[in-house]
Amino acid sequence: MRIAMAAIPCFLGLFGLAGSATAEEIPDQQIVRLPVNNDPTISLRVWFKVGSQDDPPGKPGLAALTAAMLTEASTRQNSYEQILQKLFPLAATYSASTSVEMTVIFGRVHKDNLAAYYPLLRDALLAPAFKQEDLDRLKKETLNYLQNILRYASDEELGKAVLLNEIFAGTPYGHLTSGTIESVQAITLDDLQQFYREHYTRENLVIGIAGGYDDSLLRRLRSDLAGLPAGKPATGSRGSEGDSPRPTFGRCPAATTPVVVTGSMAPRKSGPSPGLKVTIVEKEASATAISVGFPIDVLRGANDWYPLAVANSWFGQHRNSSSHLYQVIREQRGLNYGDYSYIEHFPHAGMALVPPTNEGRRRQIFEIWIRPVPNEARHFALRAALRELHHLVDQGMTDAQCMLTRDFLSKFVLHYAPTTMMRLGYALDDRFYDIPGSHLEIFRNRMHTVTREEINAAVKKHLQYENMHIVLVTKDAESLKRALVEDLPSPITYPTPKPEAVLEKDQQISRFPLKIKVEDVKIISVTELFVK
Amino acid sequence: MTQLFTGVCLLLAAGGGTPVPHGIFPYHYQKHTLPNGLRTIVIPMEGSGLVAYYSIVRTGSRDEVEPGKSGFAHFFEHMMFRGTRKYPQDVYNRIVTSIGAQANAYTTDDYTAYHLCFAKDDLEKVVEIESDRFQNLQYGQQAFQTEAGAVYGEYRKTVTQPFALLEEKLHDAAYDLHTYKHTTMGFERDIKAMPEAYQYSLDFFKRYYRPENVVLVIVGDVVPQSVFDLLAKYYGPWQSGYVAPQIPVEPPQTAERAVEVSYPGKTLPILDIAYKGDAFEVSDRDYLAAILLGELAFGPTSDIYRKLVIQQQRVQFIGAHAPLNRDPPLMEITSMVNRSNDIAAVRDEIYETLDEFQKQPVDETRLANLKRRNKYVFVMQLDAPDKVAAALARFVALTGGIEVVDQLYHEFDAIGPQDIMQAAGKYFVPARRTVAVLKGTTP
Repeated sequence: MRIAMAAIPCFLGLFGLAGSATAEEIPDQQIVRLPVNNDPTISLRVWFKVGSQDDPPGKPGLAALTAAMLTEASTRQNSYEQILQKLFPLAATYSASTSVEMTVIFGRVHKDNLAAYYPLLRDALLAPAFKQEDLDRLKKETLNYLQNILRYASDEELGKAVLLNEIFAGTPYGHLTSGTIESVQAITLDDLQQFYREHYTRENLVIGIAGGYDDSLLRRLRSDLAGLPAGKPATGSRGSEGDSPRPTFGRCPAATTPVVVTGSMAPRKSGPSPGLKVTIVEKEASATAISVGFPIDVLRGANDWYPLAVANSWFGQHRNSSSHLYQVIREQRGLNYGDYSYIEHFPHAGMALVPPTNEGRRRQIFEIWIRPVPNEARHFALRAALRELHHLVDQGMTDAQCMLTRDFLSKFVLHYAPTTMMRLGYALDDRFYDIPGSHLEIFRNRMHTVTREEINAAVKKHLQYENMHIVLVTKDAESLKRALVEDLPSPITYPTPKPEAVLEKDQQISRFPLKIKVEDVKIISVTELFVK
Repeated sequence: MTQLFTGVCLLLAAGGGTPVPHGIFPYHYQKHTLPNGLRTIVIPMEGSGLVAYYSIVRTGSRDEVEPGKSGFAHFFEHMMFRGTRKYPQDVYNRIVTSIGAQANAYTTDDYTAYHLCFAKDDLEKVVEIESDRFQNLQYGQQAFQTEAGAVYGEYRKTVTQPFALLEEKLHDAAYDLHTYKHTTMGFERDIKAMPEAYQYSLDFFKRYYRPENVVLVIVGDVVPQSVFDLLAKYYGPWQSGYVAPQIPVEPPQTAERAVEVSYPGKTLPILDIAYKGDAFEVSDRDYLAAILLGELAFGPTSDIYRKLVIQQQRVQFIGAHAPLNRDPPLMEITSMVNRSNDIAAVRDEIYETLDEFQKQPVDETRLANLKRRNKYVFVMQLDAPDKVAAALARFVALTGGIEVVDQLYHEFDAIGPQDIMQAAGKYFVPARRTVAVLKGTTP
């Protein structure tokens, strides 16, 4: 009924709701405001506390497909074709981003176009049509991604996807947000509608609004979204009330290392035997992509996160030539295009210079990303990266390194959210992580005070090198396996001369012991990935 | 249109005082040219605390005229980070790190851009180190050869993408003489040979990295006159001496071409139908009409999109792109087709669509909607200093300035349905066409 009412255009001034808001509206604590005077545009992010962790058993991909059926499909008021026609002259769109714990419907529009835009966005949220033809189209897109693009178009993205699946195998994080080939094929309209009813509820959302909006728009949004059904927040999503069930991470294979327990997310102490677990994805690759990682239990907002961020920045600042790994592998040896590390999952890292927003998760990873190296250098490059990690963990950082990196981050953080839309993303993330105030402000401020002792203590506490997952996308997997488990020397030769100091260090790197057990190496064909 | 972006102007109008913009570009800006020919455009955006500093070298893969040197402009971009006598690489890196700058570079067909974004207090330091490397770059042969390995690594991580391979083969087939024959990344054989080109790289620097061939675009929390003073101090000694390359002129294409591309992996087939366009000239009504035609004929509101993507679901997507280039580029219509045996039928649908545009004038409302949309899209992206500079870079490369932005949208306003018809008949004809089909070799 509310939807039918809402469909009647009644714009006075901008929205014509100068009177009091309806009795039923989204409450204040579910609103994040970021007004910017004189901004001619309005940024919106409507966050539903649901993600791929909430995919039902046997239905991986359902959360992402449901969100896509809101933003890339018909509503009860308009066919998808009509929506495209109406959005086109407005130079505005709305899109969905689904991660493990968050689904965010977002869009940005110029004030001039708001009156025509708002009903389209509202209908997408409140009145998705769930038509079979839309589902068929979106399934084809997803299957093309899983069967072709992810497996073949970028070996580094492939390696990172496999790494995440391996680290979180057996947990609610243990599958791709896109799902698997078989599960996506099996998803029905009934599945989507049920998922929508259960998770797209008025208690399960946060409205983020920023830019040059006025109160009438916010009132309208609060009132309209109150038309969603009532319902408890989704399973275990952060930022919701504490009585909801939470996913279990006890089976994270590399979670047997020293951890800091945060809230109720303490990993179980039991688990598989420690060590380096290697997955070799076999394909006809002309170069080898390498990803290494393990779960960590420190989240932004926590005291340790900021000193750890300093260490990570020095070790592997994303897409930055100051990264130590970058210097060792690329700059001195020319083995690849770049080498980086992370303390927060960073999807689509090849496309972005700064971290994404609205990818909140209660379990983060430490990750090393070694961009494709020549196949003959794969063993050497892996050793080089792990050897540097050993040094960082065992020896920590020097005063000079700490101070330089502190200075760097204190200003570099300015680049993380230069636009209103990005700042709104961070504001929602602050809510997700229960951070009072602004993570980015805390980040900058802590850089003025954080000490070398804090940095090196955080490294000791959260980083390690004994238990981790390693994924290599390469060919001739058996020969690599043999080289790894026998710890064979991996001498390196270069097509061009190198300084003597580099060659001397190469001798050490090429014999650096990895101590990988034969039972900890598995080989999987690329065609077997993401099937079930 | 006059009131569309009032808010932006209110928010961002700032210092300076010279030209007040009359067109779509919403910011005041000031220009200055040093005696050595270095041009600078300063666009104040108060309040952000940030400055975007773009050094746009009007040299790209288009300028790679010597045989065996494809990809060299991009490779040289890497070398620009290898330091000078005053600021060796590690010192340069340490300075950039200490000021928390976001620093990077990219190379295109027509230009190379070096960009830093940083806090406003660090402006002079940036002017100093940037002016230094553009005047005094110095690197040894070993560093040069090692960097060639990193460039090869970039090629390796890119070549697995089917679209990268398709572009390489399409351009190779479509051009005979012009340097657009190769992509910016270059042919693999030339990338392999890069370590041998040390001496050539020194010449490359001397020829192209000269003040007359560079334009600085500086956007953000700055006062124009202070910027100009700094530039005079640090860039003043830079010696002019740009030597323009003789870019081979592509002879007119006289017959349709075709190329089949085998992708060593699994992918849905990709159909790419390219037509030779014209060099960018803001008053070239025909080519501007062709740009609009591409969006009208193959964009998300087109009949063919509705039919093939939404209703029949025979393709993953379809779209067209007509680029702005210094020399005649390829206008491409691209589609990923769901079934191999449907490629020919999709191709014919595309031809029929183009025929229709030659015969029937486009609906005036659709055309007006497109023009309206394009203006909003352009202006809405200008919401941070770095984004403003990035949006202007190609215009600077094409013309040496940004006045063309207002002119361009003014010219677009004048395009009518008859212009679109004329463009359809002029450009989208078999004699200008190269058809590329990419298929995966893995079943």
